[in-house]
This record gives sequence, C-alpha cells and structure tokens, in this order.
Amino acid sequence: MVIKVIQIIISPVLALIVGVLFLGLARKIMARFHWRYGPPLIQPVIDMIRLFYQKSVSHGSMFDLGIILSLAGSIVVVLFLPFGKICPLSSSGGLLVILYIMLIAPLSLALSGGQGANPNISIGISRKLILSLGYEVPLLLVLLSVMTHYKTISIVAVVNAQQSTDWALISFPLFLSGISYFLILPAILGIRPFDVSSAPQEISSGLMVEYGGKYLALATIEHAFVLFINVALFVNLFLGGAANPITFFVKMLVVFVLGLFVNAVFPRFRIEQAIKYLWKWPTLLAFLGLIMTLIVRR
Amino acid sequence: MDRNQIMKWLKAPAKMSNKYSLHAIYFCTGCGIIEVPPVITARWDAERFGVIPVATPRQANLFLITGYVSVKTLRAIIRTYEQMYEPKYTVGFGSCPINGGMYWDSYNTIKHLDKYIPIDGWIAGCMPRPEAIFIAVVHLWTLIDKEKANGYIRYRENYKSYRRNQELALGKLEWPPLYPINSSS
Repeated sequence: MVIKVIQIIISPVLALIVGVLFLGLARKIMARFHWRYGPPLIQPVIDMIRLFYQKSVSHGSMFDLGIILSLAGSIVVVLFLPFGKICPLSSSGGLLVILYIMLIAPLSLALSGGQGANPNISIGISRKLILSLGYEVPLLLVLLSVMTHYKTISIVAVVNAQQSTDWALISFPLFLSGISYFLILPAILGIRPFDVSSAPQEISSGLMVEYGGKYLALATIEHAFVLFINVALFVNLFLGGAANPITFFVKMLVVFVLGLFVNAVFPRFRIEQAIKYLWKWPTLLAFLGLIMTLIVRR
Repeated sequence: MDRNQIMKWLKAPAKMSNKYSLHAIYFCTGCGIIEVPPVITARWDAERFGVIPVATPRQANLFLITGYVSVKTLRAIIRTYEQMYEPKYTVGFGSCPINGGMYWDSYNTIKHLDKYIPIDGWIAGCMPRPEAIFIAVVHLWTLIDKEKANGYIRYRENYKSYRRNQELALGKLEWPPLYPINSSS
C-alpha cells in the first residue's frame, strides 16, 4: 500500500524530469544538426523559471482551468503507463483507458486556447483536430492489432509477454504495426513534418499565441508530458518495456533521437498533405498488420 | 552555466533567469533585420546565450528595433511593446532609431525613438555587425545585474508624458491607456 502511494507520487515527477530533459536535448541535438553549439541542456528549465517570474494576463476562467485540466489529464495517463517495474495504476486499467484519457489533454488545451479570442488560435485548433483525425485511424488499428495478438487489453501483460519471448518490433506480424506507429509518431508529438498546428512562421505558433508568463510555463510542462507519454507507449508496446527504469529511459532516448532525425531533415507538410500521407502509408501498414495478425492467430 | 554562479542563482533566480533566457520577438523594421538571420543561425549562434526569436509578443521579453521607424511602424511598435509581459527589455539597433540617421530630414520617420517607448540600450552604427548584437546582449546582462535595465518601470512611471508624445506623433490613439493616467500628477 505504502509502496503504491510512493509510486503514484514518484512516477509523474520522473516523467516530468525526463520530459523536460528531452525538450532540452531536442534543442541541443537540433543545434548540432545546424552546425551550431546549441543552448545548455537545462535551457527549458531556465526559460520556465523566467516565465514563472513574469507577470501574465488571464483571458478568462476557462483559460486558467483548461490548462490545469490538460495537465491533470496527462498526469493521469502517466499513472497508467508502466515504466520499468513502476506501474502504480496499470493493473486496474489497460490500453482502452489510456486511449480514452489521452484525449483529455489536447481537448482541454483547445478549450483553454479558445478563450483568448485570437484568429491564429482558431486556425491552430482546427489544424490540430484535423491532424488528430489523421493519426487516430492508424493508431487505433495499431493498438487493435497489438491487443489481438497478445489477447489482452492490459499493458502490463503485453510487456510481460514480450519479455518472455521477443520484442513485438521483431516478431512476425507485429513489426508492420510497429513501423506504422513509428511513422505516425512525429504527428502525435507535433514535430517537424507535422508541426502545422504550432507553425511559428505561418500562424504565430498557433494555439500558443496568447500564452505567456506562467501559462506558457504550464503549457511547456504539458508538452513535456505529451512527449514522455507517447514515446513511453511505443517503448512499452513494441520494444518490450524494461526491467528497470534506467533501461526504459535509454530505450525512450533511442526512439526519441530517431524521431529528432526525422524532425531535422524534413520541411513542414501542409495540412492536406499531412492527411494524405497519414491516411495512405501508415494506415495501409497498420491495416495489413491487423489482417496478418488475425490470420496468424487463427 | 558556471559552477560559481550557483550562489547567484539561489540568491536571485528571477534576475538570473531573465538574463539567460532572452526571447526576442520577430519584428522587422527597416534594413537592420538583415543582420538577425546570421545571428540566430550557424555562423553566430545566439541560442548559446539563450537568445531565440519567438513569434508572439506574449512569449517575448526582448524587443529589438532594427532600423528606421516610420510613423506607421511606430503604431505597431507601441502596440507590440504594450502587449509584452513585464519584465521586458528594448534595444534600439542602428543609428536610425537613435537620432534619425540618414533619414534625419524625412517627413515620415521618427527621429528619437526613446521619446515614444523606453529604450534600455542602443547599438550604434549603420549597419552594426552581427557581433554588435552579442555585445549588446552582454551589456544588457550587466544592466540587468545592476537593475539599470528598468525601461518598463520608467514607462509605468512616466506613462503620461510617453502617451502625450505618442499622441503628438500619431494623432488620436484608438487603444485605451495601458496604465491609468491621473490628471493631477
């Protein structure tokens, strides 16, 4: 009981530290790609301290509540994700619960942004929702094939099954789903080929245009959580989780740096190009993976 | 970050984080903006010092005014400056915002920018080299350390006279005053 309470407290803190470090690492690695020296690794922390000390203006009660609600949604998802042997609530939930709660964070961020009546925010929100329509289809197919292959909805059971046999990424029918998940990972994280909803040069960073001061700091924390959740879900489902948190974070690092390579070399899609891409190759691969899984399990 | 700065961080975290996270807003007036792309890209990497450009005034705390200021631009500059959150720092770049520069007898430009918004520091030259931006940033650090980069405080205290100068240049302003103007003082 006591151990469970400690785990519930410690796992969002760990997720926050790892997510913020990933944000700093992303800036450093992108700088190295540009042949620059780059900022210090803790630059996001410095920015956040500055933002918390700045004065800020609220745009209404929903503007305050929405950002806190999205933060709460992300923290709850972290509690349902097992990393290493730390899995505070994952025995009671499963992939279906994660799928439902993952929707809270972007929706309440959209609610919060909608209060600041800026036309760039409306464009940003509509682009974000269209993009999520694009990647939800392959994501659902991928999760469905994973659940069908292991005949369970529990994410802990999926991790344990992979540790006793092979990783899902190198087992026969599921590697198609794994590749599909990796192809849509930039869209879920909102990094370069798919950063249409937060494009600074087109729509003044879209949803974030009215956020400043402590609101922007909270939004940065929320972004760090989203980064952690989606990469951790990939590691859990396809790279076999890990026996201890350190191995888990190393696997997450590998996946994230591979995602950054994609981020570094690709220009930005327009929104209809993004939808065309997302509904073509990742969906095709995921659908093929689902059919192969059904045939093999028969 | 040096190890001998840890005591400074613990003593005054607000000041230190303001120094090392200067987010400059994208705002292009005149020709000086041509010196900013080399500053933020591979040749002179401004992100080493925490200086990055951001797209909206809400997220920014450094306002670089790069080049001459026409009357029409002054309106946008004042509105952008008033949208930024405190503490905020302004740097005039090039000789045109200082005293008009080569546009000193133009009918359509502003000669002295610091009559209309407070300026924390100037970079003289036409054009200044990109290195001058780094000298300005380092100089701004010492000003923040000594609490002399107090443009936003001066703006709040002397808002009445700034507002009067703005109305002299632009005619009637269509936005309400940022701070209350009491008629007695």
